[in-house]
Amino acid sequence: MSLIKYSCNYSLFKHVLQNNTIQKNSTRFLQTSSVCLKNQAGRYRITPKGDFPLTYEMANPPHRIAHRKAWNSWNTSNLDGGVRSAETAVEDMFIRKFVTGTWHNLFASEVIIKRQHNIIRIAGIITRGLSPRKMYFLIGYTEELLGFWLQCPVKMELQTIADRKDIVFKYI
Amino acid sequence: MNLPALISKRPPAYFYASLNVLRRSLSQAADEERIEIPKRIHRGPTDILKALEKTISRDPTAAHYKYHDDPYLIPMSNIGKRTFAMAQESGRKSAHWIRKEHADLFNHKEADPAIPSFFPKLVYNENSQVTIEDLTKAIEEHRVQDAQFIYNLLKKSEQEVNDKLKQMLLELVCYFNCDDSIDEEFIEERWFKQSSNLKDRMRKTWKDGSFAEELFQSVTNPTADTYSAIIQGMNKYFQADRAWKLFEESQAKGLVLTTDAYNSLIRVTNFLKESADKRLDFITNILSDMNKCGVAPNLGTLNAVLHSLSSMGSNRSAREFLMGLLSEFRTLGIEPSLGSWYYVMITFYKERSPPTTVLYEIMNQIKDKEHSIRDLSDTNFFVTAMDVCRNHLNDVELAKRINDLLHYGDNYNLIGDSFKESIYYRHYVILMVANTPLEEFMRDIYDLLVPNIYIPEPGVMNEILKQIELNGIVEYLPKIWSDMVSFDHANRENLVDYVVDIMIENPQPENPSLTEHFSKIAWDIYKRIEEQNVRKIGKISATGGKYGKMMALLLRNNDFEQGCKIMEKLDKEHQTIPGVPRLEDLELFIDHCIENKMPSRAIACIQYCSDSGFAECGALASKLNEKLTLDESHLQKLFKIVGDLKLSDKISQEQNESK
Repeated sequence: MSLIKYSCNYSLFKHVLQNNTIQKNSTRFLQTSSVCLKNQAGRYRITPKGDFPLTYEMANPPHRIAHRKAWNSWNTSNLDGGVRSAETAVEDMFIRKFVTGTWHNLFASEVIIKRQHNIIRIAGIITRGLSPRKMYFLIGYTEELLGFWLQCPVKMELQTIADRKDIVFKYI
Repeated sequence: MNLPALISKRPPAYFYASLNVLRRSLSQAADEERIEIPKRIHRGPTDILKALEKTISRDPTAAHYKYHDDPYLIPMSNIGKRTFAMAQESGRKSAHWIRKEHADLFNHKEADPAIPSFFPKLVYNENSQVTIEDLTKAIEEHRVQDAQFIYNLLKKSEQEVNDKLKQMLLELVCYFNCDDSIDEEFIEERWFKQSSNLKDRMRKTWKDGSFAEELFQSVTNPTADTYSAIIQGMNKYFQADRAWKLFEESQAKGLVLTTDAYNSLIRVTNFLKESADKRLDFITNILSDMNKCGVAPNLGTLNAVLHSLSSMGSNRSAREFLMGLLSEFRTLGIEPSLGSWYYVMITFYKERSPPTTVLYEIMNQIKDKEHSIRDLSDTNFFVTAMDVCRNHLNDVELAKRINDLLHYGDNYNLIGDSFKESIYYRHYVILMVANTPLEEFMRDIYDLLVPNIYIPEPGVMNEILKQIELNGIVEYLPKIWSDMVSFDHANRENLVDYVVDIMIENPQPENPSLTEHFSKIAWDIYKRIEEQNVRKIGKISATGGKYGKMMALLLRNNDFEQGCKIMEKLDKEHQTIPGVPRLEDLELFIDHCIENKMPSRAIACIQYCSDSGFAECGALASKLNEKLTLDESHLQKLFKIVGDLKLSDKISQEQNESK
């Protein structure tokens, strides 16, 4: 506890010190180049016609995570004391590639990967592009093969939509 | 709140009383009773899961949890249930195939400790270096083909397999008839497999001259166990004659076989002996043989004898034998399993056999108990009990008791497979629909079971429709029809005809919403008939009578436009549509034409009547003439059809008078 207090005080002290030096130099900087630190990742630009469909997930930029929308990967490996954080990230990427490839052109949402204990649950919204029978085949195939690969039980949790428009949140 | 007042208040009398009780009980506990800490109960790793699972019962409002909980993916028919589950299993199988084909890619060790079932299966070939341990492992894991292959490799590389291992291998190959069974992982395949294929069950399937026999021959000093294993294997696959020879051989050597070997011999009595008397003698001989050799009988013995008795035809001596047997085994302390009761039932309830109360007595013995599987035949009990209940006893109360027993504790595990389950419910539903008030049936049974637990087969649907017709409670018809559509019954001619007939015979003038429903159903059926594939085999035939009825149903709801469409169809395809509508349906159409002031349609209809050879078309024409003022061209047309209108008027009057 005392250590934290000390480090806090120390950083405050340093901050004050730096501010003092700036004031002492009394120099002003003028920025002549355009601003480059604009946040762009995970955001969609407005199209001229305003007809680009966004799902709820797409409509919310990354800083809305945990406020308006949730994460795409649910696990505890990045928490304090969590294990296998690198492996988890790579495996999740593998699962996403595998699932989008196996369920070709069917996923209408992001692939959500939830890990609890040794179970991996893969959730998502798919379109009804295949007959239910073929979907069951793919469910069995995906679950079993990913199970062999990741060596743990894998479950699919799917919801189907009749039309891709069903999950459009807004057009921009 | 006035706190001092509350404190100063004297506590009530009961306060002291309860204090005294407390004091007394405390001192008593110290004096006499000592708190006994119960011994720790050792729990398995999955016990807590099992305890949790017990708190959840089957939810009839949701599909089985093996299906995806999504409207598109929930099966709505029996075929759907089967194909969806099997498709998923097929997907799993292809994953297994991929793993087999690319075995080198699946050897990474992700799980710690490593879980062997995730790794590719070991494949042995001619050049594999195998050891005794490999063989032991293959036997333990019931890999029958692998075990045989490894054994041959061991023999080739001249490694000695000890007698104990040889015995284990012999038992394995005898039990499985030298073949791998369906992998235990594929539960759906096991569930949907047709188990009651009678032909397959009672036929010699033992592989003569197979590995098992070679192995038996290679044993230099066959012991009682060796003989027991091969005899059991042969009997299991109905190679009864050779098994009997081996039995005699072993008896000549003075060996004492195991109980199971004796049981297997009893089980194939019917293959060895012809007439009932000889069979009974044979069984008695074997039992006394066992007694002589000091081989204690077990549940398997009881079930084997009962099995043989049950297939002897309706024979009085067999029944007497059975009664004696049951009491004798009871004195031995061998509790019959559900399978034993199954055999008792099929002995007593044959076709055309006099009714007996055996099942009631059986139910008294086994009610309110949790049963676990003790014999392979145990899974036959519930389906046969319900069959007897419906076909022999026709007793609703008994059916309810059987159903309660099935849902008691974990007894549902004994239902067997999907085939037995559906037959069980078929008997149950047919019995209940015929013997309970329809409202009660629909509320307590239909709504509960259908569609998630059981989907009625067409025959059962027919029974339900019959009850609706008998009781005249047509309110259920819209619901039943929508169920029929989703269960794929809407293309069954007899059911569709039945629905149409019920609707036509139960007009609902005081219930407009029901009339509207009927009209919708009729239009739905019409559309279905129109849209069906010409080349389809079992399609619904389009007869004039059916069209007429559908038209009448539409007209009752004043759907004149749609009624006209059917009339046009009838008129246009008069040559191809077999049969003609009933006159009353055509009359109704003309009435509606008059109402809607459509003389040309009415005249077309009258033309149709005349072409179809109805004598009453004159009356229809005059009716039209009376109710509507017809112009010259219409009158001319009518005249062409029926001749003189006035004349026909007279004729119809005369007809009415003569009536």
